[in-house]
Amino acid sequence: MKFLPFIWRNLLRNKLRALLTAGAIALAIALVCLLRTMPDGLNLMLEYFTSNTRISVHAEAGLVYPMPYAYLGKVRSVPGVEAASTWTWFGGVFRQEDGVSFPSFATEPETVGTVFEDWEVPKEDLEAFRRTRNGALVGEMTLEKYGWKRGDLVTLEGEVIPLALEFRIVGVIPNIPHFMLQREYIDQAFRSLDPQGLSWTGMIWARVDDAARVEPAMAEIDALFQNSEVETASETEKSYMKNFFGMLEGLVVVILVVTALVALCIVFIAANTASMSVRERFQELAILKAIGFNRRLLFGTLIAESTVLALLGGILGAALALGLTSVAREATEGLDNTLRPLASFVVTQAILVQGVFLALVVGMLSGVVPSLGATRRSVAETLREVF
Amino acid sequence: MIDLVEVSREYQRGTDHVKALDRVSLHVERGRFAALMGPSGSGKSTLLHILAGLDRPSSGRVVVAGRDLGGLSDDQLAKFRSTHVGFVFQFFNLIPVLDARGNVELPLLLTSLSKAQRREQAETALRVVGLAERASHAPNQLSGGEQQRVAIARAIVSDPEIIVADEPTGDLDAANAVEILSLLRELRQDFGKTVVMVTHDQRGAEYVDEIHQLDKGVLLDAHSSASAEGAS
Repeated sequence: MKFLPFIWRNLLRNKLRALLTAGAIALAIALVCLLRTMPDGLNLMLEYFTSNTRISVHAEAGLVYPMPYAYLGKVRSVPGVEAASTWTWFGGVFRQEDGVSFPSFATEPETVGTVFEDWEVPKEDLEAFRRTRNGALVGEMTLEKYGWKRGDLVTLEGEVIPLALEFRIVGVIPNIPHFMLQREYIDQAFRSLDPQGLSWTGMIWARVDDAARVEPAMAEIDALFQNSEVETASETEKSYMKNFFGMLEGLVVVILVVTALVALCIVFIAANTASMSVRERFQELAILKAIGFNRRLLFGTLIAESTVLALLGGILGAALALGLTSVAREATEGLDNTLRPLASFVVTQAILVQGVFLALVVGMLSGVVPSLGATRRSVAETLREVF
Repeated sequence: MIDLVEVSREYQRGTDHVKALDRVSLHVERGRFAALMGPSGSGKSTLLHILAGLDRPSSGRVVVAGRDLGGLSDDQLAKFRSTHVGFVFQFFNLIPVLDARGNVELPLLLTSLSKAQRREQAETALRVVGLAERASHAPNQLSGGEQQRVAIARAIVSDPEIIVADEPTGDLDAANAVEILSLLRELRQDFGKTVVMVTHDQRGAEYVDEIHQLDKGVLLDAHSSASAEGAS
């Protein structure tokens, strides 16, 4: 402790250089902390948008392969399954120049409220959807995009099911872009193209009564269709979303690689500062050795300088990251629900500790080479060179 | 106090093999003020470094303050220097980020003294060199002579038996050089220190007890200073 004032004075020898280095380290540590929030943040976002009791059942071969529509009844009979409904991709296009700009699925109107309870569709909208053959529940995001409202008639041209059909908007689904149609209406219309109608579906969503029963229910569903014409692969909604947005996994890897590169950059920045600081003090270091500072002590004080500087930068950077995410969280609180997931990016205590620890390691690593070089020099040799 | 027996020092400088000292034997009694003189490259500074424990001889024996320096490790040598030897260099070499008191206190950081004791001892040393009132001045606020006096205070603060000074007047004007030589002489007279000084300054001869002449790494016969004989 008695060397601390000496170390501190040396640290502030070139205030501008110390400030710039600490600033560079602070920004880098803030960036590392923010990047570190992303894997957990993305996970939280997925949890925000998904239910832990909903299962997706689709063909094992992939989402684009159809399953027999008869599978729905069998899935509904599995113990624990409260309700299930099919989603059949219609591929509706409103304006040709936009292409498919929102997801449109045919489904059973009577089960939407149960399977997707968390969508919070108003009861009267669900009732209207059940009653209206060409009714459609439309996501708030798509409604806003095209300026539609309840009661409007909208004509969509199907790219997957090649029919141009008119739909009446009877309800709104908050926060999502989906355009949900009555399966029966599509089925009837499709019979003009194929007398058998819609005998297939793309996916079945099943709601299980208890999160603990999700795994057994998935196993039982897949066992039901084992060795049948289309085998199934069941997965939780979260897993489905993760696979659907497969790039998220890649993104996390990229984030971690960038984090490592940023850490390496700050080692170089800090090492350069430490190296300059030691190089310009060879004469003083020789004097310190002459008056009795041994190698270990000299090495310790030099390492302490780079470590204290990096530590200060690290604490500043961690505080900066904490402040930025807190501001983002507060700013999104009063805003639309769609922005609320931004609050998922939280600088946790663990991330703060990791950030400061990284700064500590950076400080020590950056000081090792120049400090070793300085302490290994023979004092007589240095004095011969200097004087 | 200082006994060097058949000491040689050779080293490599680039492609050149340098024989800095050739079988030098030197004896300096406790409480004497000795000068090492000679032309540039004669080996004065090398001899000073060896007797102060800053460098090791290629051969020969060095005994200082009763310790055979040849048997000491690097850490032991550092410890030896911190307790037995005080250094004064030509260019003062004060630490620019510390004030005069901080510079004088520096060797005491290696001791177990408390902060208050270190401060008190540093102020005493500054009083001895006549700079008590300049204790809180930074080196760049002091004149060359004052900086060298601070360096002398730093050399004596831990009360070593030996003071070694390498060209202590080399960077000073005539008036300041005389002050520094007088101060070194006082350390020998009033505090019983053994002082060994390397110098080119012929005025130095008037202040020292004995002069050892070196030439090309060889120690010529020592002789006592006339003024010292007169003074004693």
